[in-house]
Amino acid sequence: MNPSSLKSRFTTRFLRALTKINAHKPISSSSPGPGEIFQRYRRIKVAADKSMAYSVRSRRTWSRATLWRLRTRSPRSRLATHARRSWVKTRSTRAASHGKEKKEDGGTVEAEELRELVPGGEAMDLCNLLDETAHYIKCLTTQLDILDRQECTSREL
Amino acid sequence: MENQFFLGAQGIPPPIPPLDFGQSLSSAMEIQASELNSSDYALQFESALSSMVSSPAASASNVSNDMFVFRELIGKLGSIGNSDDVSPHTLMASSSSYINGNNSTNTSCYSTPLNSPPKLNLPVMDVTVAEKLPGLGKSMGMDSSVADFSADPGFAERAAKFSCFGSRSFNGRTSQLGLNNNFNEISGYRSNPSSSNGKLPRVSSSPSLKAMAMASPIGNKSNPPLQDRSELANSQEESSITNGDPGFKAANSRKRKTVPKAKTNENSTSPSTNAAKATEQNEESNEKRCKSTESNGKQNGSVKTEEESKGNANTKPPEPPKDYIHVRARRGQATDSHSLAERVRREKISERMKLLQNLVPGCNKVTGKALMLDEIINYVQSLQRQVEFLSMKLASVNTRLDFNVDGLMPKDAFQSNNNSLTHEIFPMDSSASAIFGQNPAPHGGLSNGTMTPCLVDPLPPPFHQFTHTLPTYPTFCEGDLQTIVEMGFGQNQSREMGSQPENFQGSNQVADMKVEL
Repeated sequence: MNPSSLKSRFTTRFLRALTKINAHKPISSSSPGPGEIFQRYRRIKVAADKSMAYSVRSRRTWSRATLWRLRTRSPRSRLATHARRSWVKTRSTRAASHGKEKKEDGGTVEAEELRELVPGGEAMDLCNLLDETAHYIKCLTTQLDILDRQECTSREL
Repeated sequence: MENQFFLGAQGIPPPIPPLDFGQSLSSAMEIQASELNSSDYALQFESALSSMVSSPAASASNVSNDMFVFRELIGKLGSIGNSDDVSPHTLMASSSSYINGNNSTNTSCYSTPLNSPPKLNLPVMDVTVAEKLPGLGKSMGMDSSVADFSADPGFAERAAKFSCFGSRSFNGRTSQLGLNNNFNEISGYRSNPSSSNGKLPRVSSSPSLKAMAMASPIGNKSNPPLQDRSELANSQEESSITNGDPGFKAANSRKRKTVPKAKTNENSTSPSTNAAKATEQNEESNEKRCKSTESNGKQNGSVKTEEESKGNANTKPPEPPKDYIHVRARRGQATDSHSLAERVRREKISERMKLLQNLVPGCNKVTGKALMLDEIINYVQSLQRQVEFLSMKLASVNTRLDFNVDGLMPKDAFQSNNNSLTHEIFPMDSSASAIFGQNPAPHGGLSNGTMTPCLVDPLPPPFHQFTHTLPTYPTFCEGDLQTIVEMGFGQNQSREMGSQPENFQGSNQVADMKVEL
């Protein structure tokens, strides 16, 4: 495996996060309550997203948006989300004026959906959005691959 | 580091031997090669780098060779693509500085532009600049004005065109000089859209102007200024084409494998005012090349071949895809700058869609943008859900490391033991209850075997008992797992589970479901 590839970067970070989560919450022999599982699930999911976004750094808009989102979650949520919303609004209006003047393009409805899916996609025109989507898909598949393998190995233990 | 070279060149360009530039450049580029995401890009980069570093060792008199290598190198750089936002900028700066240094040994033609740019427009630079810089290689023997060697995307194009004309055809040069005056103000207007550059770089030629008008960085800011400048370019071209036409023709008569020359001739034919039919043939082959940010050579080749089929295909070999693409109006199409820009945009989008088609499985048969986008949306959604599902699985598996996997229970036992099993099947319950009664929304892309456990049909009845006993997790049911679980319900053992070797059959199904969790 390429030592500096996306996959390896993500794997190292994710495993590190996983060990941290496991250490933080001792594995109880009895079946844990549903709340615990859920909390754990959230933590793992956040760890996966975060490690993927960190592996990509700020090279991509979606990674920047993900990192921003993760950083400004509940603690400072109100102020942060308000700021983000206003920023997104200005950017999206600008993007709208550029990219959606002529609605004959026919892809605007789906483009909106795609924008919602891809983090940080609200403020991009279609061209960049497709770029980001391609990279995002690639990273998601990498993430899935690692998660899957991890799940397999931990299940066999 | 590259900035130093660049800014240092503002005064009298120091006679830095090419090797130094190469070394610094190579080091800079290696740094960026390491940052590149994909390994194959890095390999290309390394090979290009090695070729480049070796070449400047050659004497300065062999500038043509160097320039050709430069062109190749820059082309490869451009082909590395804009997967990174950072690297192309610095790449371009370094490569431009490198070319700067090399050219300074040749003529004084570059000394003036080196003096001019007070500000470096690095952030504006795009990977497309890399594509334009190859043209610079030809602009050697020019003592006439050369467009300023700034990070302006249009600069390389202008310089290339101008030099090409001047070096090959004296007639062209004189006409070029005549053209230059026309473009001074335009070039000043165009030179640095985002920086207030007081000095007007002397622009070389009309086609380069048009090219640079087209060759704005990909992004939001490009479209309105693009249209304005292309309008200007168009008007200027038409006025000056008659001047330059005889010279251009002479230049064309020689077999020149350069984009700039072809561009000028193309522009001469675009308004269809000139009788440069002979030159037209040259142009048809270079008629339109899309600005390829990914610089996919194959795609460029395909675009070119389709252009060649349009007109009389010239026997000229296709331009290296790294050259900056000028959008010109095809025959019988509107030459409006708006439509030209629109066409550029559309082609860019279709290019991206093709790439996405390769990424998304099962999209080859789908045609049309809307359907493709739908497929892409579905695929991204399914991927996101898969991630959530797998992370949820990881969470539960980690907590159940010492569970008794061998305890395979029959279905009735499962129902009677619902209390003990609630925890185990909990993660699926809330979502299962949520999806009850909903229609499945199977996705084609979910067939990669990493999906749900095979929750088979006998299971739903037990779930009814559980739903009211279990706390609900609204966030769980936000629809993330709906489709996944639904698919698990809907499908039976036939569903292949890549990661799960268990065999879901008969009474084992329930137990297996428990194991899955």
